[in-house]
Amino acid sequence: MLAPASDMPNRVVPVLASLALVLIWWLDFGIVQPNRIVPGTGYGLVEAIGAANSAGLSAGLLALMVMARHRFRARFYGLGALVALLLMWQPILLAEFADRQLPADAAYARTAIGAGFWSLLFLLGLMAIEVLSQLPSPRGHHLILVALVLVVWGVCVAAGRLDSLSLVTEYASRPDQFRQALTHHLALSLSAVLCSLVIAIALAIMMMRRDRWRQPVLATVSFLQTIPSLALFGLLIAPLSALSTAFPFLQTLGIRGIGWAPALLALVAYSLLPIVRNTYVALSEVPDDLVDAGRGMGMSERQLFLKLKLPLAMPIIIEGVRVTTIQAMGLTAVAALIGAGGFGTFIFQGLGQAAMDLVLLGALPTIALALAADGVLTALGQVCRPAGLKANG
Amino acid sequence: MIELKGVSCRFGSTVAVDAINLTVETGEVCVLVGSSGCGKSTTLRMINRLLPHSAGEISVDGQDIRRIDVRKLRLNMGYAIQGTGLFPHWTVARNVALVPKLLGWSRDRITTRVDELLTLLGLAPETFANKYPEQLSGGQAQRVGVARALAADPNILLMDEPFGALDAITRDNLQNEMLRIQRQVHKTTVFVTHDIDEALRLATRIAVMDQGRILQHDTPENILRSPANAFVENLLGSQDRGLKLSALRRVGDAMSRHPQPCEPDLETDWLSEDDSLRQALSVMLWHEAEQLPVRDAGGAEIGVLSRDQIWTGAT
Ligand SMILES: Nc1ncnc2c1ncn2[C@@H]1O[C@H](COP(=O)(O)OP(=O)(O)OP(=O)(O)O)[C@@H](O)[C@H]1O
Ligand SMILES: [Mg+2]
Repeated sequence: MLAPASDMPNRVVPVLASLALVLIWWLDFGIVQPNRIVPGTGYGLVEAIGAANSAGLSAGLLALMVMARHRFRARFYGLGALVALLLMWQPILLAEFADRQLPADAAYARTAIGAGFWSLLFLLGLMAIEVLSQLPSPRGHHLILVALVLVVWGVCVAAGRLDSLSLVTEYASRPDQFRQALTHHLALSLSAVLCSLVIAIALAIMMMRRDRWRQPVLATVSFLQTIPSLALFGLLIAPLSALSTAFPFLQTLGIRGIGWAPALLALVAYSLLPIVRNTYVALSEVPDDLVDAGRGMGMSERQLFLKLKLPLAMPIIIEGVRVTTIQAMGLTAVAALIGAGGFGTFIFQGLGQAAMDLVLLGALPTIALALAADGVLTALGQVCRPAGLKANG
Repeated sequence: MIELKGVSCRFGSTVAVDAINLTVETGEVCVLVGSSGCGKSTTLRMINRLLPHSAGEISVDGQDIRRIDVRKLRLNMGYAIQGTGLFPHWTVARNVALVPKLLGWSRDRITTRVDELLTLLGLAPETFANKYPEQLSGGQAQRVGVARALAADPNILLMDEPFGALDAITRDNLQNEMLRIQRQVHKTTVFVTHDIDEALRLATRIAVMDQGRILQHDTPENILRSPANAFVENLLGSQDRGLKLSALRRVGDAMSRHPQPCEPDLETDWLSEDDSLRQALSVMLWHEAEQLPVRDAGGAEIGVLSRDQIWTGAT
């Protein structure tokens, strides 16, 4: 028999920690740019944050390596705490870097995060995921850790300690656009998911009633998913502009060849497959003998659906919604290409201007939204799991 | 009373049930028995209209079931199936309350009824009411299934191999419960099984089916004594028909009674009044006894049963 994972020395954390150790010493930790476009000068670890901090950071990573090889029971709590502390320390180190290296007299000068620092953040994130997955009831610890780290970063930003960071300057010069992008992004992706959900339930019911609908419907939604997203966005431009020219009142609704209308249509088309498939599978896998018993005792078809099939299918339907939502959050960024707004706007602007920080200003919130949607819908899936069913059933 | 007249059921070209006639009198237990695929479930499911019949007429208490609103018809028929069909996301209490709730009973009435039924089926309400089906053993789940079928006090019970998936001992217990409950509630019951011993034990009358037809419809005793053809004979097993017949008789009906109940002799082995003659015979064989004392449920000795009495009683 295999020993439980928690009784074996952990191999993942030491590997990640040693990699982080190598990369922070090898790659540039921070960059100072005289202005937005000009490439900046990179600074190594000691230059960037000083000898004491460098030693502290290295010691922290070494401690992770050592602790992970030991077998005492609570070590994952220790590891989790240490990883969290390191993650919380990072904004302070960035501020330290700005204090040391930012020229005081240059108004347009800004700091940027170097490859070494990015690697460190990324590897610490991976370690956090690994450690959390080893802890019992990961959800609670997850939330506490993420919240603590976000609070420290938030405080540093709010206190102006990271004002020179190029990402923050990019944000500071367009807070209204940022807010608008957030609203558009959320509105577009969430309404796409909602529309798909309604359509999916209707299609699933239809497929269950008439078996001969099953093949064509599933084939169609799978086909939609295989069209490259850019092509689909593009394909919708022509018919929609033709429509809105033919029926001017559509224009007053904002339906044109570009903008939210084609984006929404394309997003719905993409979202259909996972939701339709999960909804159909979930509803049709409700055991026949349960339906038979319910029907035989006098439940109406409506009652069978609402009281039996839907509750039993709920966890799998929500799983489909979760996958779809994450996917839609990402695709909405692409939809900016046809003028749908959202965080994609920043990404494509940044790409056009070769301003990587503007790209990040679009990309990071997109990732954050996807992760948040993942968290919320996973939690919802747990809540909606009917009592009496095994957690993994 | 349930009457089937010339009832058939076809699936495409296969004839699952072929022009059968069957009458189930009010209060009797009619057991449909036969090998797999002979059309037992199909017959049962036509009675509550889960399947439409392709020909013939089915009536309940003289009324054609096609004229009765289908939900009304089903709400008046308890339905228990193999594998229980309990809803896994509902507690035991909620499962049992299903039909009363559909009928719109008040909450108090439902609670009282659920407790009453769980107690009737030997499940303590305080322990079991709030459990989920997954937390029950097979036998307990099947009891809940029966309780659910009885919940709204329907006139008719339809049971499709309700004890099919249980081990021999649990099945034996549940058959006893069925007999006990049936003595209390007298439901018109159609019970499907492929186990001839279960049929002999529970039935008022047995309908032996093969290939969609009813070969013989009679009391267990008559079926045992004069099977209609080779198929029925084969189903009964020619070797131990005598024992099966003796299993139909109670010790209490064959023994000689004392004028007055007396103190039992604690040393010797004994029989109880409700044992079957088959059990009595087995005990006598084991103890090589000529006769054994018989006690009633209270433990008092009320008579004796001799070997000769088994012989005369069983034939
Ligand atoms: N929905 C259906 N479609 C087609 N054929 C069916 C259907 N249901 C039953 N049959 C056929 O009808 C015949 C009788 O089936 P039924 O379920 O009544 O048998 P049964 O006596 O209950 O058998 P078992 O003891 O295995 O449950 C079988 O040959 C079966 O294949
Ligand atoms: Mg059957």
